[in-house]
Amino acid sequence: MNQNRHNSIRRTILTCMILVPVVPFLLILVVGFYHFKVSLESRTVKNMQRIAMDHREIIDAFLEERVNDLEFIHASYTFDALRRHQTLQKVFSWLQLASNAYTDLGIFDAQGMHVAYRGPYPLTGKIYKDAPWFKEVIKHGVYISDVFLGFRQTPHFVVAVARDSDQGRWVLRATIDSQKFNTLVGGVQIGQTGEAYILNANGVLQTTRRSGGRPMEAPEDAIHLGHRQHAVDVAHQTFFSQGKYLYAVVPLKGGAWILFVRQDKADAFRALRVTIYATALICLLGGSLIVFAAVYLTNRIVNRMEKMDAEKAQLGQQLISASRLAELGEMAAGFAHEINNPLQIIKSEHALIEALLEDLKDDNGLMASPTLAELDESMGQVNLQISRCARITQAILKFGRQSEPTVETIDLRKYIPEVIQMVANKASVHGIAVVQDLVAETAHVKGDPAQLQQVLINLFNNAMDAILTRHGSSGGELRVAIQPAGNGAVEINVADNGCGIDTGNLPKVFSPFFTTKPVGEGTGLGLSVCYGIIDGMGGTMEVQSEQGSGTVFTIHLPVDTPNGG
Amino acid sequence: METMQLMLVDDEERFLSTTKKLLEREGYSVLTATDGSQALEMLRRKRVHVVILDVKMPGMDGNEILVQIKRQYPMTEVIMLTGHATVASAVDGLKSGASDYLMKPIDVHDLIAKAEEAFSRRQGLETKIRVARMRHLMKSPREIIQEN
Repeated sequence: MNQNRHNSIRRTILTCMILVPVVPFLLILVVGFYHFKVSLESRTVKNMQRIAMDHREIIDAFLEERVNDLEFIHASYTFDALRRHQTLQKVFSWLQLASNAYTDLGIFDAQGMHVAYRGPYPLTGKIYKDAPWFKEVIKHGVYISDVFLGFRQTPHFVVAVARDSDQGRWVLRATIDSQKFNTLVGGVQIGQTGEAYILNANGVLQTTRRSGGRPMEAPEDAIHLGHRQHAVDVAHQTFFSQGKYLYAVVPLKGGAWILFVRQDKADAFRALRVTIYATALICLLGGSLIVFAAVYLTNRIVNRMEKMDAEKAQLGQQLISASRLAELGEMAAGFAHEINNPLQIIKSEHALIEALLEDLKDDNGLMASPTLAELDESMGQVNLQISRCARITQAILKFGRQSEPTVETIDLRKYIPEVIQMVANKASVHGIAVVQDLVAETAHVKGDPAQLQQVLINLFNNAMDAILTRHGSSGGELRVAIQPAGNGAVEINVADNGCGIDTGNLPKVFSPFFTTKPVGEGTGLGLSVCYGIIDGMGGTMEVQSEQGSGTVFTIHLPVDTPNGG
Repeated sequence: METMQLMLVDDEERFLSTTKKLLEREGYSVLTATDGSQALEMLRRKRVHVVILDVKMPGMDGNEILVQIKRQYPMTEVIMLTGHATVASAVDGLKSGASDYLMKPIDVHDLIAKAEEAFSRRQGLETKIRVARMRHLMKSPREIIQEN
């Protein structure tokens, strides 16, 4: 029952001691981690979005400049002027000054005939009437193509401008080197895997992708924006995460191209991963520290509590035994008192009978005879037995009163042999050798001699019982020793070579009502009362025993210091 | 010198009658009462020198009766009969004015000895009082007249 209570208290304390620090500890970790994660994510997103937006501006500006270049040329020169080789040469040189991305420049008439060309390839005279770019430029006036191979078999794209003039509609076209264009986005480097590249609406690369993919290839992992296409068009930029990558996406060229800024999540959130590991480590270490401290403290508290409970229980038991003893005393006293009254009457009657007998004798009513002598003798016996009864009742009344001890100075060297003498007869009858080992310089002690006698007689009787159990009527030895024990104490040892005490019973020998004797033979109060008496004298009493080889009772009593009163 | 008038108070009637017989055989005049009220009633009517009083009785307990007797008849000597072999209960009685105590079961000769002792103490005391009164009278008859 007590164990259950202790267990439940242990659980409660342990739970509290773990939960109370762990909850705020975890909250701090979780909140801190969450905010770090959010801020890291938002910083990563903003960074990628900023890069995307910046590069869109750069690319759009680049493309717009190219268109402006061509429009400027278209407006500045006539179709015929440009057909002239020198003029075209001059214009191309000027264009290359504006941007070294130009690889060639050509003009076309309305029928798609390549009228003049300045560049490394022999393209003059080719008809582009059915080329998609030509159709587009005729239709819209300005056209920037996707990257393609064309006749020359190297990736490039074209910027073309078609304007009406006096000579009719004609087209000015420049080719942009894909390599040069690449450098605009190829330089983007975020962390280890962050990169930027451009795809057209069909998912074909327009620039080289560092993580794999050359222009005009459609990478397998190219994502199709699908429903996000719309979001990209409307918002001009969007951010999302797909697969193992984070993407910031902006449309270019009015949605024909899409600029991707892409970074591996693991790379982007590397700091987060480090933080996760650190947090987990802190959790583990801090948690185990808390648990360890909680378990340690709980054990200490509960152990202390168990000890206190045990002491309380022992105290309670002592109180109970004391009160039972007192009850027993009360009962015996009442009993003796009740016996006293009839005894008193018997005594009076006896006195009267004796007086009447005397009268009869005096009046010569009774002759001296053997019968009369016997009657006299019998009357004497009655008187004797009455006195005996009276002694018994007085003794019971004395016991019941538990009268205050009469404290005297006791010289153990004289006193102990006297007490031993009381049991000497019993010892010799049972063949028990009584050995006295009384050190000469043993100091005196203070106490009630009658009480100390009760203690010693009790121990001697117990010892002799134990010896009888083991040895029968020969070979027993009872050793009584006194010696100084230091610290102002005297030690009395009562040792026997009897049967010993069972290890399980050893802690209980001083408990009231504990006895190993058959029912009715022992009250189990003897050692308990002894313990109480020694305790009352300010001493201690201990027992050591080994089953089958003997028992030693050790009493420590404080020395009576003459000036200590 | 007047003879000692004794009174026994105990709830055991047989004890009273037998002890009375024994005492009367020794030449003492003995009254008996089985409880406190009877004893007080008897004291009102008769002059008693020494009361032998059992401590433990049903109804009015010995110590209560002692207090009553000592209040109403301070010159009466009371010997307590106690069943307890203790000084404590006897001391209680002595404090309340008992002159001595006896432990049950008593021997009638012990009883007589104690009673005689108490009686002679009482006689001595009465003599002193008488002498004091006499002196008082001798000193100033006028004062006696005034007192009256």
